[in-house]
Amino acid sequence: MARTLSVCPFCGCGCNFYIITKGERVVGVEPSPGNPVNRGMLCAKGWNSYEFIHSPDRLTMPLVRKGGELTETAWDEALDIVSGRLNDIKKEHGPDSLAFLASAKVTNEENYIFMKMARAAFGTNNVDHCARL
Amino acid sequence: MAGLAAAFGSGAMTNSIAEVEEAELFFITGTNTTAQHPLIGTRIINAKERGAKIILADPRKIQLADYADIHLRHNIGTDVALLNGIMNIIIEEDIYDREYVEERTENFDQLKAVVSRYTPRVVEQITGVRASDLEEAARAYATTKKAMLLYAMGITQHATGTDNVKTCANLAMLTGHVGRPSTGVNPLRGQNNVQGACDMGGLPNVFSGYQQVANEEVRKKFERAWGVENLDGKVGLTITKMMAAAQKGDLKALYIMGENPMLSDPDSSHIELALSNLDFLVVQDIFMSETARLADVVLPATSFAEKSGTYTNTERKVQIAHKAIDPPGSARDDWEIICEVSERSGYPMNYNSTRDILKEINELTPSYAGITYERLVKGYGLQWPCLTDEHPGTPYLHKDKFTKGLGSFLPCDFKPVSEVPDEEYDFLLTTGRVYYHFHTGTMTRRISILDREAPEPLVEINPDDARRLGIQNNDVVELISRRGSIKAKAEVTDRVPKRVVFSTFHFHEAPVNLLTNPVFDPISGIPEYKGCAVRVRRCA
Amino acid sequence: MKVLARKDLPDVLKNWSDSYDVFAPSMKETGDVIFDRFDADTFTLEYGKPSLPQKSEFLPQSEVIFELKKGEYREVMAGSGKMLFGMRACDVMGMRQAGSFMKRDVTDPYYKSKEEGILKVVMACSGPQNETCFCTTVGSGPFAEAGFDLQFYDLGDEFLVEAESERGKQLIADGFFGEIDAAEAGTKIEEFKVHASKAIKEVPALKEAMERLRDGSVSEKVWDYFGRKCIVCGGCAFVCPTCTCFTVSDFQTQPGEGLRVRSWDACLFGGFTREASGHNPRGTQALRLKRRHEHKLLYYNETDVLEGLCGCVGCGRCSDYCPVHIGTLEVVKAIAED
Repeated sequence: MARTLSVCPFCGCGCNFYIITKGERVVGVEPSPGNPVNRGMLCAKGWNSYEFIHSPDRLTMPLVRKGGELTETAWDEALDIVSGRLNDIKKEHGPDSLAFLASAKVTNEENYIFMKMARAAFGTNNVDHCARL
Repeated sequence: MAGLAAAFGSGAMTNSIAEVEEAELFFITGTNTTAQHPLIGTRIINAKERGAKIILADPRKIQLADYADIHLRHNIGTDVALLNGIMNIIIEEDIYDREYVEERTENFDQLKAVVSRYTPRVVEQITGVRASDLEEAARAYATTKKAMLLYAMGITQHATGTDNVKTCANLAMLTGHVGRPSTGVNPLRGQNNVQGACDMGGLPNVFSGYQQVANEEVRKKFERAWGVENLDGKVGLTITKMMAAAQKGDLKALYIMGENPMLSDPDSSHIELALSNLDFLVVQDIFMSETARLADVVLPATSFAEKSGTYTNTERKVQIAHKAIDPPGSARDDWEIICEVSERSGYPMNYNSTRDILKEINELTPSYAGITYERLVKGYGLQWPCLTDEHPGTPYLHKDKFTKGLGSFLPCDFKPVSEVPDEEYDFLLTTGRVYYHFHTGTMTRRISILDREAPEPLVEINPDDARRLGIQNNDVVELISRRGSIKAKAEVTDRVPKRVVFSTFHFHEAPVNLLTNPVFDPISGIPEYKGCAVRVRRCA
Repeated sequence: MKVLARKDLPDVLKNWSDSYDVFAPSMKETGDVIFDRFDADTFTLEYGKPSLPQKSEFLPQSEVIFELKKGEYREVMAGSGKMLFGMRACDVMGMRQAGSFMKRDVTDPYYKSKEEGILKVVMACSGPQNETCFCTTVGSGPFAEAGFDLQFYDLGDEFLVEAESERGKQLIADGFFGEIDAAEAGTKIEEFKVHASKAIKEVPALKEAMERLRDGSVSEKVWDYFGRKCIVCGGCAFVCPTCTCFTVSDFQTQPGEGLRVRSWDACLFGGFTREASGHNPRGTQALRLKRRHEHKLLYYNETDVLEGLCGCVGCGRCSDYCPVHIGTLEVVKAIAED
């Protein structure tokens, strides 16, 4: 079993725990004993946070709407559709016809390049996130 | 956060979680802390047991109510009146921090003029809180040295949310409770990286580190670093304006990363109309959320266990997480997907890892300059502002002066909730979370123990109201607002006051945001989740 | 009896790592000390009380117990050539008590297969590891009497090494381990034990609390007080060496295929005892806490107690890690003072 330090995905406390893995399966968590936020403790959500990772409902393939239905597609095709459509719309209606919603659940790095993409690649400041909620 | 930024110059928790342990008094409002920030809530209980005092201002009888020395159960949406009333007493009794007010703040006269109208009698009328309780609370908060004010969504999720926040800031400045350990104004952030999403510029008006897009010098800096020309200096749309623009047909495409506005936004049927009206919707997520179902393209992303990167917690502390396993199927990290889309759109980014990205964040974001990968892996995180490689980070803000110089009193007048109950819709619905679930439930409802503990949505209703309407525990009731209706089981409890019902937004079976009122705080854009008029009916 | 120079310990562990998957205390870059796969660079003896017992090696927080694939069931049984180095005596007693329960009437094959495959190397305690240690009160430490393969006594420059099993004897047959005269070793160990036991304070409240529970004279106020502040994290059960409750869930992985997983559960959760009708015989948090502590202190099965005193092994972790201080130490104190 291997242990990898991580940050709880739920509230804003930022408790640290080790993700315990057996091969490619997460089998539990161990709270970080030294982190000053949680000092070896977790709440019920934190202690049980590992289970949804292996949910059979996880998305595993890009999906593209074809004939009204979301249909599994290869990455290349899905990514080309995304960039193609965004660029076409930008060309036709201007950059501010596009908008981007960042996430309170992904990393800083991801949020940073997401807003960089909106601003530098597509030329719009229409970037926000759902944390107002 | 806009309210705090206007008052202090920085919109974040002023103090640190560890400082809760040293505080002598807590003013807690609009946070069910033991349920929503358990490891902060429990520190408050421990503090109480070692002798600290608790003033709780919350309409609901939450777990901390059991520990409160004074529980002010004010009417929903009367926060400004309540806090103004407290300040009225503090000024009237001359127990405010005169020296602090003179040296470190501005606009005191305006504050004095506004709060002078909120005498205890007036406030009692508006809030339902007894004048004597208000006086006791005012004296305790003003005269305790280490008094910490904590709030969360119960303050912000109102059409007057920014006013509520400004009023909290006024109270703390009036009593000199900002800029020292175990004091401050402390908004508790509800998701593991809300703070980071804001810090990184996931906002229409700023780049990372709250550097204004309107500032030409800032734009020039980013243009140079990013190798582009003509970054837009005009502030973009907030989420609520995006939805309105989509509905009008002005907004054509929306790219949503890891969010589920179909369940989390007010008046969901309108959101659905808005999203359906787009020419193109991309959703990047780990589950087929209610929002993803409407998308033209759904991109499978990775969960926290499958990626490396940093998150910023509620106390501005940046912490690092490492990848534990490979993603399922062909799911990919959000950052990789973004790089791909960007490259295919003619703007290649060339990062090999999130570590490379953090390096760029360090270079372009003064408050994150010293928060480097090398330092993060060797310790337990760093709190911004952290200006250099040697800077130890900042446990509490505004030490000798406010970020903006003088702290500004921004007095506000009380405005009632936008939708006051009437004969037809005679209850106020207030919404929130339960302990066992998180946000729209996409993660926690897929955890068997958590789903077992809270398997279905409940509507809390006061025993008096329940008796009048013939409702018993577990009876199915219908909540009807002007915008929609949902059905859920009743929990008869005095946790809620009379004429108030409470429910949660975790459950797609009973999406409470079909009911909520899409009125927004004009500045922060936060919707009024905490009060809308509904009717309650027992289903046969 | 054998003796090992302190400086040779990392090399010995390195050797053992060739044959076994060795888990030992490890000091991470952050400063965290946890049990992890042996690594000479991070190995430390300054680990005090491990933050968790090694329970998850025998009963992982979650484990697949069988898979359904192509219409066939396949039981998943993990045996392993694992070694746990540096266990504490209280945790060995906890493991033995839990093991007795898991094999008493019906043998739990998943537990048994792991338990048998693991080599247990104990580091006897020379005193309390922190202020919540009370092994001497419940008869679980500071050194182990049974249930291990090797036990190390830390004498400073050297360790005396006691082998309890055949496997243990083979482990210390190589050249790193020197012989020491049995009488001399006996004296040294005796001194170590007397000194260690004296250094750990007794908790008389525990025995008083057991008495009070037995004669039913504990007022409900005690439980109400704790019930009111419990935030239902389940942590006390998860960090407890003798808690073994689990729940079983089935997951479909794709149509016609699935997994059965068992995972830690806790009697602190309302759903643990809620019946199908919705009725809950332990309907309040106060009642659930009462049940938990009665189980540890009053109703623990006599066979499973072994040489211990009750179902608590005195590791003190529930006191260390309960966010609101509802550990055995606080509970027995409240009962004794009630």
